[in-house]
Amino acid sequence: MKTNKIGMRIFLLIAAFLLLLFFSNDFGLIDIQKTSIITAIGIDAGEEGGMDITAQIAVPEAGNSGKAGNVSVKGARTVGEAISLLNLKTGWYPTLVHCRLILLGEAATKTDVFRSLDYFLRSQFVEDSCLVAVCAERAEDALGAQSPVGDMTYAAIEKVLSSEAQKTGLVSVNNLREFSKGYYSVGKSSFLPVLTLKKDAQAEGGGSSSANESQSGSSAKSASAGSDLFDASSTMLFFRGRQADVLSAEETLAFNLAYTATDFAYGNVSVSENGENVTYNLKIKITKKSEKVSDEKGVPVLRFSIRARAQIADASDAGSAQEVAQSSVVPAFVLQAAQDRLRLQLDAAFKKAQNCGCDLFGVCQSLQRFQPRLLQTLGENALSAAKASFDIRFDTLH
Amino acid sequence: MEKKKEKRPLLSDAEKNIQSLKEILSAQDILVYRFETADKKLCAAVYADGITDKELLGELAARPLAQENAPKTRLEAEKLLLFPELKEADDAETAAFEILSGNPALLIDGIAGAIILGTKKVALRAVMEPQTAITVKGPREGFIEDVKTNMSLIRRRFKTPNLQFDMLTVGKQSGTAVCVAYLKGIADESLVKKVCARIQETAIDGVPDSSYIAQFLTDRPHSVFKQAGTTEKPDILCAKMLEGRIGILVDGSPIALTLPYMLAEDFQSAQDYFVSPVRATFSRILRLLAVLVAVFLPAMYVAAQLFRLQLLPFGLLMTISGGIRGIPLSPSLEMFFLLIVLEVLIEASIRMPKYVALALSVIGALVLGDTAVKAGLVSSPAIIIIALSGISAYTVPDLTGTISVVRMAYLVAAGSVGIYGVTLLTGLFAYYLVSSDSWGTPLLAPFSPLIKHDLRDSVYKADLFSLRQRPQVFSPKNRTRLRKKSAAQKEES
Amino acid sequence: MNEKALNVRQICFLFAAILPVTRMLVYPATLSYRAKNDLVWAALISFAAEFAVIALLLLLAKKTDLTFFGLVQNTFGRVAARIACFVFSLYFFFSSLLPVLEQRGFILQVFYENVSSFLSFIPFVAVSLYASVKGLRSTGRVADLSLPIFAVCIPVLLLLALPEADFTALLPVGSTGAGNIFRSAAEGMNWFGGAAYMLFFLGNFRYEKKSAVKILSAYGIGAAIVLFFLALFYGIFSDIAILQQNALAHISKYATSFTSLGRIDLLFIFALSPVLLFALCLPLQLSTRCAAEALHVRPVFPAAAIHLLLLLFILFFNQSYLEIQTLMTQKLWYVFVVFALLLPALALVLRREKGAGAGGARLKNGRRL
Repeated sequence: MKTNKIGMRIFLLIAAFLLLLFFSNDFGLIDIQKTSIITAIGIDAGEEGGMDITAQIAVPEAGNSGKAGNVSVKGARTVGEAISLLNLKTGWYPTLVHCRLILLGEAATKTDVFRSLDYFLRSQFVEDSCLVAVCAERAEDALGAQSPVGDMTYAAIEKVLSSEAQKTGLVSVNNLREFSKGYYSVGKSSFLPVLTLKKDAQAEGGGSSSANESQSGSSAKSASAGSDLFDASSTMLFFRGRQADVLSAEETLAFNLAYTATDFAYGNVSVSENGENVTYNLKIKITKKSEKVSDEKGVPVLRFSIRARAQIADASDAGSAQEVAQSSVVPAFVLQAAQDRLRLQLDAAFKKAQNCGCDLFGVCQSLQRFQPRLLQTLGENALSAAKASFDIRFDTLH
Repeated sequence: MEKKKEKRPLLSDAEKNIQSLKEILSAQDILVYRFETADKKLCAAVYADGITDKELLGELAARPLAQENAPKTRLEAEKLLLFPELKEADDAETAAFEILSGNPALLIDGIAGAIILGTKKVALRAVMEPQTAITVKGPREGFIEDVKTNMSLIRRRFKTPNLQFDMLTVGKQSGTAVCVAYLKGIADESLVKKVCARIQETAIDGVPDSSYIAQFLTDRPHSVFKQAGTTEKPDILCAKMLEGRIGILVDGSPIALTLPYMLAEDFQSAQDYFVSPVRATFSRILRLLAVLVAVFLPAMYVAAQLFRLQLLPFGLLMTISGGIRGIPLSPSLEMFFLLIVLEVLIEASIRMPKYVALALSVIGALVLGDTAVKAGLVSSPAIIIIALSGISAYTVPDLTGTISVVRMAYLVAAGSVGIYGVTLLTGLFAYYLVSSDSWGTPLLAPFSPLIKHDLRDSVYKADLFSLRQRPQVFSPKNRTRLRKKSAAQKEES
Repeated sequence: MNEKALNVRQICFLFAAILPVTRMLVYPATLSYRAKNDLVWAALISFAAEFAVIALLLLLAKKTDLTFFGLVQNTFGRVAARIACFVFSLYFFFSSLLPVLEQRGFILQVFYENVSSFLSFIPFVAVSLYASVKGLRSTGRVADLSLPIFAVCIPVLLLLALPEADFTALLPVGSTGAGNIFRSAAEGMNWFGGAAYMLFFLGNFRYEKKSAVKILSAYGIGAAIVLFFLALFYGIFSDIAILQQNALAHISKYATSFTSLGRIDLLFIFALSPVLLFALCLPLQLSTRCAAEALHVRPVFPAAAIHLLLLLFILFFNQSYLEIQTLMTQKLWYVFVVFALLLPALALVLRREKGAGAGGARLKNGRRL
């Protein structure tokens, strides 16, 4: 009974302590009302080796999905320092748990990008699931763009870099985890999509962007009609964390069809028909693909095997009613041309990557996993010694 | 120790006996009806006004005695009286107790002792469907305040000699009748003995309701969690008795207690047994989820806002964040305030007359809620959360009291320590509940300890033919409650 | 009803549901530090060793109803038994230190958005104190509660993570060398206290037919889940696996981050957190029981002392997880090998009484260990 009384007193003491915490509610707590929700971070090269960080902060509004404001910090030595300065500048505690996008300015990729990106790997309170992309110019400008459909900028970019875009082969999407894995892997290589801001959408009648507001530093710009579109069809190659080369849109498509999670794509093939140049737009559905590195007399050979079914989506030449009705049937010479084109682009992508030292197709990683002795023998020359072979076959639907 | 009073014997002098009884029962509602037999001997009926059927007393006791010569013995007198319920009392105290119960004591000059006439007449309300256990399908009878009527409702459902009623009296002043009902051969009789002994040990002045008895029957009277099952419906009590439980009826209370009690039984509704097993299982899962929502939703909402924004999807976060802008209270205090308002509204609407309660709910829901949001005192998401939690709690009506307290505890834990506070409190409750039992039956059975057989009627409700055996948790002597059809019956069918 | 504190089913659940979760936080990253892509093999060695010792203990349980205390008392006398219990009490306390800091780190990362006050974790001590006073019966019963939670949450988390995994990252097998694999296994012994727990379960459960098969199968299932988790973990993170300190919180986020429901996986992780709590209380409960037996006092007193020490430990080493981890895994790993494997295995040579019955396991004071 005595123990019960002591237990009850201890219980009351704990309850009182909890109630004190509950009602005082001020023990270094940073709640929703003191937090700024960062949705995207832009990293640009600053002056004297520093970096300019732009944070896109979601600004909630009652009865609305909210708008976004950008805050920039110039010349920070590290991302961590910049985030602290953000806090200082705005008075809001920045949280990065909803940060879904990291944009690197083109100039920032000239040096090892992990100078800045490792912040996101170190911190426990930042997700490494966010998308990473390179901007053709400055990340700050990209984050300040106005979406024609009224999205917050980060959301508009996120859609361009979505997994759906990846499935159609238009973009080579990458997230921080995958990018880091490549950086720390034996090949020390990876890739990122290159985001280009196109300011020519005005005439296309983009919607209003009242939900969009952009600030630079502490000054706010008034919202303007959205007119900016994004394109991410090219891909930047990285070796040791630095920009190595850039794949063109066609090479990116070939890379996606051969190596990434792309299921289907649309591609143009030009053939000569009755002395005329006709362009066919084909819908290509990948049915099977694989790549394997084999040891052929001491030479690593990367074999691509791709099987796909094609269908005519459109043609530059007006077809007869019968031809239009049978658009699922692709003539053999068009298929052949498509195969050749893919082979050509894939070879170009492979060579481009090889020449700049970027192990885009994971040759070194494959050797490490499946042919470790060969990798040991070849050492640093493994990638340059590699050859590619292609087994690409397209079939028509019927 | 209180000295035991000596009993006063009732002698053959009726007048003296009347005096003795009046000394004990000095209240003004104790009346004496004097009359004489044909040979002018004094007879008297001492009765309590208001609870005795005077008409019956006059017709069946006074009239036959007045028309005949005085009987010489009690046996002779009883032959003259036409009562089906007659008892005898040799002392004034016993007679006084019966008088207070509504049974008059008949005193006849020349005969020692008193004859107790069963003419109790108590104003009773009708047997009707209880407000707290309304079913769409199934019996609608409910217990009333009279223990005898309640016993009859049980007896009507069990035409078996195995049905036993152990009658006890509790309360030094109230002398309340308590009935322990069980099925011999199914219930654990050692448990019945222990329960009866515990009830008899109860030293209390009065027992206004069965909940008083429930407190004496538990080892943890301070517990937030119920320690005894309750029901207002005879069909439920009978079903529980068939599982091996014992029922306790208290005179003056329409709520019967059942022992042993398991937490899972509150998630079962009478209706579950009258609808398809699939529907019953669905309803039980729904109730379980609703209770989880009722308990955890306010706490998690607060914890997410204070400690873990990532728990909220981005779209929802923006909506909430927009909604709470300018609210003067912190998320935890806002929720605490709303919970208090909810509890006040519930308390008030229960106590108030029905027509006022209806108006009150309109005021509470529309005026208070809407105006508070418009005034910027509270946010709309918080009102939605509280409304959802409040409604969800009523899917398990027997647990609403517990849920209210536990919900508040979780809110305080979440508001002060965060989601880990919720985890810790869950752990604490888990250790508390797994080490609690109700008369030897673990409170969390059949989940902890896991009793595979009994899971058939837990969250999952198996069909009737899968419930051939009684729950193993009660270790019933007779385990079978449903036998397979004999081969002959099968052929016939 | 079974008068013993535990039953076989509860021990099965403990091995299948509670202990595996403890190996899903820092253990994978710790293994990948040295064993890299061979982490599964390193873990397999630890599991095999623990499995073997548990099998030996079950053999012992089949032959005697005595508790460990009873066995030592039979062989060396009462004083020796009390000393043994005290030493094991110290071991259990010691073995709980790294997991306490490990869970503290996990809690602060997963349950809180920004660096929270250490106050957030302190109430754990109160819950553990309460659990320690409650004894083994409550341990068994919370194991019953843990299984359904584990059975729902872990498959969901694993399924969410599965599409992200590239299992070829585990190749080539043995590339880190046998030395590193064994060293890694030894350094991970802090997470393998199951055999020591089993030693103290002796005499507290009724050995029935096929009990050994059931318990070992449950252990096998738990081990298989952990091994699959490790494979999945390395398949997802490969070269950056060492950075992922709280594996359980990371593996499934990639499937949910960009969905409209958001981090729905967090709900399953939160749901699992009571299981982690139960697992963390277990060594402290056993430490309390052992100390109570050794000192011949009511459990509440040693429980209070142990938890006061624990509180001081948390306060002093609040920011020193890495140092403690290095100390426990790289320098003092042999302590765990001795107490979690060798000593339990040696229990087989203690003198026992065949068919002593339930009374045989009971100590003079009528209590059970």
